Amino acid sequence: MRTALILAAGLFAAPAAAGVPEALDQHILPGFDRFVQETGALARTAEEDCTAGTVAPAYHAAFDTWMPLAEVKIGPSDTGALSVLFWPDDRGFTPKALNGLIADADPVVTQPEDYAEVSIAARGLMALDMLLFDPAYDSADPYTCQLVTAVAVDLARQAETLQAAWADEFAAALRSAGAAENATFLSPQEAMRALYTQVLSGLEFTADQRLGRPLGTFERPRPRRAEAWRSERSLRNVLLAADAAQSLAHALAETDLPLTDAAMVSVREAAAKVNDPGFQDIDDPQARLQVEVLAQEVRSLRTAIANEVGAPLGIAPGFNSSDGD
Amino acid sequence: MTTRRGFLAGLLAAGSAPAIGWADAGSPSYLAAAREADGAFALFGLDTGGNLTFRVPMPARGHAGAGHPARPLAVAFARRPGAFALVIDCADGLVRQRLTPPAGQSFNGHGSFSADGTRLYTVEQRDEDSAGVIGLWAMERELTRIGEVPSRGIGPHDLRLMPDGGLVVANGGIATGADGREKTNLGEMQPNLTYLDAEGRVQDQVILDPDLAQCSIRHLAVAPDGQVGFAMQWEGAPGTPVPLLGLHLRGEAPVLADPPLAEALAMWGYAGSIALSGDGRSYSISSPRGGRVQRFGRNGAFLGSVARADVCGLAAHPGGCLATDGLGGLLLLEGDRVRPLGSAPVAWDNHIVAL
Repeated sequence: MRTALILAAGLFAAPAAAGVPEALDQHILPGFDRFVQETGALARTAEEDCTAGTVAPAYHAAFDTWMPLAEVKIGPSDTGALSVLFWPDDRGFTPKALNGLIADADPVVTQPEDYAEVSIAARGLMALDMLLFDPAYDSADPYTCQLVTAVAVDLARQAETLQAAWADEFAAALRSAGAAENATFLSPQEAMRALYTQVLSGLEFTADQRLGRPLGTFERPRPRRAEAWRSERSLRNVLLAADAAQSLAHALAETDLPLTDAAMVSVREAAAKVNDPGFQDIDDPQARLQVEVLAQEVRSLRTAIANEVGAPLGIAPGFNSSDGD
Repeated sequence: MTTRRGFLAGLLAAGSAPAIGWADAGSPSYLAAAREADGAFALFGLDTGGNLTFRVPMPARGHAGAGHPARPLAVAFARRPGAFALVIDCADGLVRQRLTPPAGQSFNGHGSFSADGTRLYTVEQRDEDSAGVIGLWAMERELTRIGEVPSRGIGPHDLRLMPDGGLVVANGGIATGADGREKTNLGEMQPNLTYLDAEGRVQDQVILDPDLAQCSIRHLAVAPDGQVGFAMQWEGAPGTPVPLLGLHLRGEAPVLADPPLAEALAMWGYAGSIALSGDGRSYSISSPRGGRVQRFGRNGAFLGSVARADVCGLAAHPGGCLATDGLGGLLLLEGDRVRPLGSAPVAWDNHIVAL
């Protein structure tokens, strides 16, 4: 009985699944290069002039280069993404952590390498969103100025670390999926599945969190729970996240994706009807409706990608992750 | 465990009839349920090298199981709400007996034999109000229900033997509706950890602070000194960093593990399985939702983590910790190092049962 049932390690040993190299070379790795470039520019800008008005454009440019990567939360990014973009934060960890640093005039800001040791809630883009755009913080204040610079420099360092970890190690693990020495991906299909599930879970996150959190309930909308509402990026982030999903879906698929592309057009049309880029007007029923429609279109995009990319590959939701017990 | 089994097998062998033991089932060290490529369900025996030693078909999705300490018998429990448990002869693959809970009750997925193999404990709940029950079964030629005791909580899930022969029960605190899985009391949960003696009398009960009332205590691992590791699932607002591992030694206050914030969030508020490492020095908890296994010291200190999609099943292994996932992977976790033992065209289910 035993002999017939020996498990074969590397049962599926084969070249990398089509789509994985494309996703890396067309989307992810160039994305990290751009992210390194723009966060570097942000750090240099802040070091020269840390006032909010000067830093803001560089902040937006850096944020724009993160969004195509934000939902690929595997490998170096599986916890690394959180210290780049710490959100959602219903409990207000970010203001608590920043206020603590400011109240103590914590000297941690003087050494950029030390700043990596502070709470992840005080690092990254959401810390800048608050420091640069919330009236409670004054970037003209000398300590706050130092803090802005420290966050920006730390972010640039995070970008370099992530870029290197992806380019040097994790990309190789994805490409060599199924090889005997590969302990991360036991088959090419696993690498494909890993990237594909990021696309789906990313769109779910966009619909349920980026849009669902501020929507709250009809009786109680929660505009302050929108992502990066202070810098009025909430809507832009939704669009960039949807763009990223479409781009990755195309890289992963071997066929045209007409349903996906049509769904993305609908996402853009729905986004064009949203007035407030920070969703701060959604206690108005008409404004709320537009955001609800947008959330629906994002879910439709997810369904289209599941049908056009996932179904042909036979990728189903996780047996255990979707069970719950 | 091998020692105890060998000892009991020896005792049986010294008796009159030639006894059938686990060696006749290929000497598995573990049991694990899975869904196969064609959608059918089965229970597998596994050895420490990750080799399959037997395969027995199951009529529906399994959850966990219990192996008899001496005879090659496994009780495979159905997925919650369980209408049946199968007593499977792992030597010949035949179903020896089909257990059903009393009318109006359901099996909850876990159970255990007593150390001497004379008794089976099954975790159950009343369908009407989710009140927890531990079913008591005597093991002679076959299993006979001899009684039941309250589990002292709502929605119990896992149960383990204590070194003193008593039991520890994870009363998850979640009441379920008519379909047996819909959660109906998330705003008023009161999970607890309850210690019972072998006859079901309460010895001790642990309740966490009220702000953790929505942390459902669901799975257990017991160290040889009686320290209980309990893994939890958060039913409150998503994105809240909460402890998912607690440690308790009777007579002392529970200790809650406190990983770094990014690690806490990476588990998505969900631990699906827990196991003590082979050397007894650390606990691992798995999150299929976060695709992650975290490791903590016996004092609750965070030691490290490993990423693996849809990972859930965990069990002690001489080299560290054995892990299974929904993609068919069988992995040996040696600290933070992952050593694949094999990959099968099956989706391994939530748990691995160590024999």
